[in-house]
Amino acid sequence: MMEAVQIRHRHLLDLEDWSASEIESLWRTTDAMVEVMQRKVKKVPALQGLTIVTLFFENSTRTRLSFERAAKAQSAEVLNFAAGGSSLSKGESLKDTLKAIDAMQADLYVVRHGVAGTPHQLSRWTDAAIVNAGDGRRAHPTQALLDGYTFRQGFRGFDGFRGKRLVIVGDVMHSRVARSNIGLWTKLGAEVVLCGPRTLLPTELGHWPGVQRCFRLEEAVEGAHAVMALRMQRERMQSGLFPSLSEYQARYQLTAKVMEHAHPDALVMHPGPMNRDVEIEGVLADSPRSVIEQQVANGVPVRMAVLYSLLVGRAR
Amino acid sequence: MRQVIKDARIAGWTEGTEVADLYWREGVIEGVGVGGEVDRVWEAKGALLAPALIDLQAHFCDPGQEVREGLAAGMKAAAAGGFGTVVVMPDTEPVLDDAAQVAHLQARAETLGGVRVRVAGALSCGLNGEQIADLAALQQAGVVLATDGVMAVRDGHLFRRACEYAEELGLLVQGGGLDRNLCQAGVMHEGRVSERLGLPGQPAIAERLALYRDADIARMTGARVHFGHVTTSESVELLAWLRAQGAPISVGTTPHHLLLSEESMASFDPRYKVFPPLRPPSDAKALRQALIDGKIDCITTDHLPWTLAEKEQDLVQAPAGIAGLETAWAVLYTALVVPRLLTIERLLGLWTSGPARIMGWKEPRLLAGEAADMVLFDLDTPRPVEPMGFFSKSRISPWDGQNLCGWPIATFVRGQCCFTREGFGEASGTSAHRVGPL
Repeated sequence: MMEAVQIRHRHLLDLEDWSASEIESLWRTTDAMVEVMQRKVKKVPALQGLTIVTLFFENSTRTRLSFERAAKAQSAEVLNFAAGGSSLSKGESLKDTLKAIDAMQADLYVVRHGVAGTPHQLSRWTDAAIVNAGDGRRAHPTQALLDGYTFRQGFRGFDGFRGKRLVIVGDVMHSRVARSNIGLWTKLGAEVVLCGPRTLLPTELGHWPGVQRCFRLEEAVEGAHAVMALRMQRERMQSGLFPSLSEYQARYQLTAKVMEHAHPDALVMHPGPMNRDVEIEGVLADSPRSVIEQQVANGVPVRMAVLYSLLVGRAR
Repeated sequence: MRQVIKDARIAGWTEGTEVADLYWREGVIEGVGVGGEVDRVWEAKGALLAPALIDLQAHFCDPGQEVREGLAAGMKAAAAGGFGTVVVMPDTEPVLDDAAQVAHLQARAETLGGVRVRVAGALSCGLNGEQIADLAALQQAGVVLATDGVMAVRDGHLFRRACEYAEELGLLVQGGGLDRNLCQAGVMHEGRVSERLGLPGQPAIAERLALYRDADIARMTGARVHFGHVTTSESVELLAWLRAQGAPISVGTTPHHLLLSEESMASFDPRYKVFPPLRPPSDAKALRQALIDGKIDCITTDHLPWTLAEKEQDLVQAPAGIAGLETAWAVLYTALVVPRLLTIERLLGLWTSGPARIMGWKEPRLLAGEAADMVLFDLDTPRPVEPMGFFSKSRISPWDGQNLCGWPIATFVRGQCCFTREGFGEASGTSAHRVGPL
């Protein structure tokens, strides 16, 4: 059905140890999956007979649905496990929770957890493959893969990531999407500018190679090729991280006017769920610059490629 | 009963022969080479005989959480680690803020026999930081130290008054810890590594600020205040400066802060989760230097056991703590003394005369008339750390599988053997058991 993918990883825990060429080859597989999703019958038998369990310790209906769609479009069996709250509250250790499910012979787990590192911990206790669907503030690798894919597909005259500039605006500190995108874009040669109130931009992140911090939105956006707004959660105000939502909106809301400072072809992105008119102006989200819907649509083929690559196409 | 350890290298013994025989009767040392009839002969075969170690900070979780440790298992673990005296912490259920509770715990320890258990009492009722505990009654019942634990007393005024009260009683206070507000929900040291790992961090200033307040209150009130787990280079310098200004303070750190670093957290393994958190390698290095410079007075294990199920959680749920009694000496001997970064005399001092001086106890020495609290170390035979063989109920160790030297092979308290490692004691043809009170 598709070209051989030279991916050597057993799991997708984060993108730290994925090379640029592995990511590029995963995107080539994604291209093939995009074609599958355009067919009348959107189903191939690639993962027939394999069982995928979504293991969501933290609620996220849309990420789970996206993975489920990606698995079913390739004929895999899908079981959903939603462990609302912690396993400890039921008196069971994380390991025992996994062992109980592991007895059902899954081939791959899609794991979402509120605490960084949990997918790494789980990978020590099972022989199945693990795909991280978001862990704490750490990583959300399939989101970064689909964001990068969307840029590659949508930026006019795309000629690679080198020399491109991504601006991420908002609550970077608590964002796994930001951390994964920083890792991916800098690995591919792009620059990343982080923008937001200083309380939400950890100093250490500004020291990463290829990363800068900037506290003024217009300055940050200057010449940018893609600008990504992050969801602003109201509870951050209560923890004293910024004074008020109105002050945040006044200083950091991404608007059509602000985007005038960006590259003429710059794309507007948002990983969702979006607070319209809080971190992003509603009309900007609906404008032709916006690829927010394509991001969601690309989630399925990117995740199809990830599942396929780990379960079938992995280099021995 | 009269006993002898034959052919031991005796710590502090400088006269003539390399090895010698040490005799004791009941709980009291008679001297080296005194000869005469004995009831029991122990063959040291050149092993190092030293005063038993003293740990000023261990959690036995007794009463209330015996599933984690309990007095009996904790005492055995201490003996196996070469300790003759252990100060147990008051964060039990109920909290050790009541004289009768303290007296009962000590009576139980006496009945069990083995290592000497001394009790740290709560500084405030229920460790709630609101009302000073009955410190005089606690002291009467045997409490040797008052502390509210790893989180700093929230209310500086209460800490000040407690220090004044304790000073008048001559009771040692343990201070410092971490400033709760600055720690927030952090699970590790805040910095480069925590940002990379996406784990919430605790800034180093949370420790320094708590230390500064408490050490300056010690200077103001004249109360003796001990800081049991100082973990950063800046904390050490700050306390050294305050001491030079006349603050009556003492400083301890732990084997894990000396030898491990925040980098370990990259494994996302809750074994490395500990409060205060593991710091950058530069801090661990500075702590090791402070052992040599004398800016650190003692090492404590901060033995804090958890069950496997409790530790096999995500890094937020998993509790902080390492059960270190059984490995404390061997890890430091292997990492510091073997590569000649620290002399064995200094390491012994940090575990014996250092803590004794802090507590106002007599310096432990292997001399006639002194208590026969002793430990025999096999400095040569490497053995792997095997947590499944621990006496502690906490079968978890960051040093799991590592080959270490210097293991204790026998521990004697009040002249009685309370631990022998497998293989030791059999050659003398007696009925030495692996462990347990005789």
